[in-house]
Amino acid sequence: MTTTTTITTPATTDDQPPPSTAPLLELVGVGKTYPAPGRARGRAVLKEVSHGFEAGRMSAIVGPSGSGKTTLLSLAGGLDEPTTGTVRFRGQDLAALGLAPYRRRHAATVFQSANLLTYLNPVQNVTSAMEITGSRRRRRRQHAHDLLDQLGIAPEDRGRSVLQLSGGQQQRVAIARALACDVDVLLADEPTGNLDEATASDIIAILRGLAHDGGKCVVVVTHSREVADASDEVLRLRRGRLART
Amino acid sequence: MNMFKRAWWRLTAAPGRTALMTGLFFVICTLVLSGQLIRSAADRAAAAAQEQIGAVATMSLDINAALESGKLGGDGSGTGQMIGPDLQLRSDLLEELGTSPAVTGFSYRVESAGQPGGDLELYRAAEPPPGADTSQGDFLRVDGVRDSAAMPVFRTGSSRLVDGAPIGPDTADDVVLVEERLAEANGLAVGDTTTIGSLPGDGTPGEPVEFTVGGIYVSDATSRSNYVPAIAEPGNQVYTTPAGAGRLSATGPTDEGAVVHEATYTLTDPSALEELRADAEALGLDPELFPLRLNDTQFEQLTGPISRTAGIASLTVWLVSLAGLAILSLIVAGSLRDRRHELGVLLALGERKPRLLGQHLVEIAACALVAVAASVPASHALAQAAGGGLLAAEVTANEDSAGAGPEDGLARTAGGPEQPKPEHEPIDELDVRLTPADVGAVTAAGLGIAVGATLLPGYRVLRLEPRQILTKGD
Repeated sequence: MTTTTTITTPATTDDQPPPSTAPLLELVGVGKTYPAPGRARGRAVLKEVSHGFEAGRMSAIVGPSGSGKTTLLSLAGGLDEPTTGTVRFRGQDLAALGLAPYRRRHAATVFQSANLLTYLNPVQNVTSAMEITGSRRRRRRQHAHDLLDQLGIAPEDRGRSVLQLSGGQQQRVAIARALACDVDVLLADEPTGNLDEATASDIIAILRGLAHDGGKCVVVVTHSREVADASDEVLRLRRGRLART
Repeated sequence: MNMFKRAWWRLTAAPGRTALMTGLFFVICTLVLSGQLIRSAADRAAAAAQEQIGAVATMSLDINAALESGKLGGDGSGTGQMIGPDLQLRSDLLEELGTSPAVTGFSYRVESAGQPGGDLELYRAAEPPPGADTSQGDFLRVDGVRDSAAMPVFRTGSSRLVDGAPIGPDTADDVVLVEERLAEANGLAVGDTTTIGSLPGDGTPGEPVEFTVGGIYVSDATSRSNYVPAIAEPGNQVYTTPAGAGRLSATGPTDEGAVVHEATYTLTDPSALEELRADAEALGLDPELFPLRLNDTQFEQLTGPISRTAGIASLTVWLVSLAGLAILSLIVAGSLRDRRHELGVLLALGERKPRLLGQHLVEIAACALVAVAASVPASHALAQAAGGGLLAAEVTANEDSAGAGPEDGLARTAGGPEQPKPEHEPIDELDVRLTPADVGAVTAAGLGIAVGATLLPGYRVLRLEPRQILTKGD
């Protein structure tokens, strides 16, 4: 029996997040320092960041450029390891869980540029991700069509090269790819940065629906006020330190 | 399966790149397989030539080794060097060596000479100029042989018996084989008797010794149109038994047998040479003074050009393989750099790094396999054409170098060993056959190049981190 992710696109934000529970994803005293020429200790981008992200909630991380937003998202998404502190998923340290297995089974990242495989069409992009993550769905192709349908990719566009799709369509395909893997944590880096206002609103609604209706833990790095306003919590990064606004 | 599926999608999504890679592999595989086919043809030809010629080892005194050993002493007159008894090969010892299990047949040659006497006249193709002193060279050249058929000139066919019987171990001592020209000049036929004068060597006149013509042979060595001493005339070569040769010289056979100048042993196999050497040493024959050498002159004549062609082919195989590996490694390295973003995306999705390399390998191996299949007919034609051309050039070069050598008969006059005229024409045709082993070899080479070209630059993939590729890093 296959399961499907229901995505709703609310016109308003009157839906409410679930009551606060134990964090699904947790940063504990996380610091990240990059090597820097002329600096023996390197350049500290994140300093002692601690925060818990819960399932069913959408969190926005804002801050000026260079404040460490993308670095924080990379650590949360298992794309990189912290210099100090730990990142925990369901209480388990990612270093022990393994970054690649964590990415395969539990977390997906949607980037500002969709980062699709350009030699594949939208359906192939989605089914490839399902195969990599070992999704147990039997009818992967049908599931990919269902997801693309829900995300508004027209059937005639699903067999075309992704290079022939608009930026908004590519971003929707990227979200479909992330959802196809049935992950618990969805991280998005400036998902509306390259999109027009109408498309951006659609994407924001989709992400919010995934959190509230799909039960996902959604973390979005953004400069967008609209995204921040639509989020259940907004965190500000300044000089490598995280603060709730 | 995803890795294979992605590889297929990638290959079909970029047909130009796929065609380029397949074409490059096609060129590499065609050249490698052509070289392999030429080598195989040369190997088959060498094996056939070895079977045709057999393996013959020769033994004679190595003058240089004798000089270095100090055993070649002066004769006190200051005119030359004396070969003492310990530097003489004796027939009895050689007969004993002939019983070695490594030997299937053998013969030896005792050098001697005879004077015309009685009713036997020397054969002259050209008369000496008026007033010329012919006394120094007016002799018959007489070789006492154990088995005439085993001697190089008869074995290789440059001399052929046209009447009578060859000389063998059981032939009577007074039997001679005379060359057709000498026989015609003297009206000799098989069964006739003739007289040859002995050469005491001490200045005393020789005695007439009677021989019976046991056979008449014809030699391919041609007579010169201008005058040469009779002993250098191929028609004046006479063969008799070792004992018969001893009857003409002052120093006949001793208790150890006749003094032998050269012995030839036909071996069961070229690899039996070491066994024969060991047996010779066990009999007290110094391997430094009396070395046993595999007489592969005929083998070289037959297979020299095709072996050199095979050598060029082998070099081509190696050069093309290494160049192909280098070129493809560079292409794959460039491809990995171009596909860095794709690799980052796949890593971000959780794909395992070995599978990323595996996808590359599958893509390249698929091109290689298509190229191998296409190279089979192409390389057969190329090997036949290019190999044939190379071989023809080598055969021509071989003939040119052979033509520049000393003329037959003169080398012997100068004291060198008997040089049989090359009987076998060099192999000048390539028998190119495509076998499953050849296809297997080129498939292995193609896949090996594919694996090498993928894995050599593959370390880059193992060092990739998705964050560095997909984010700006702030």
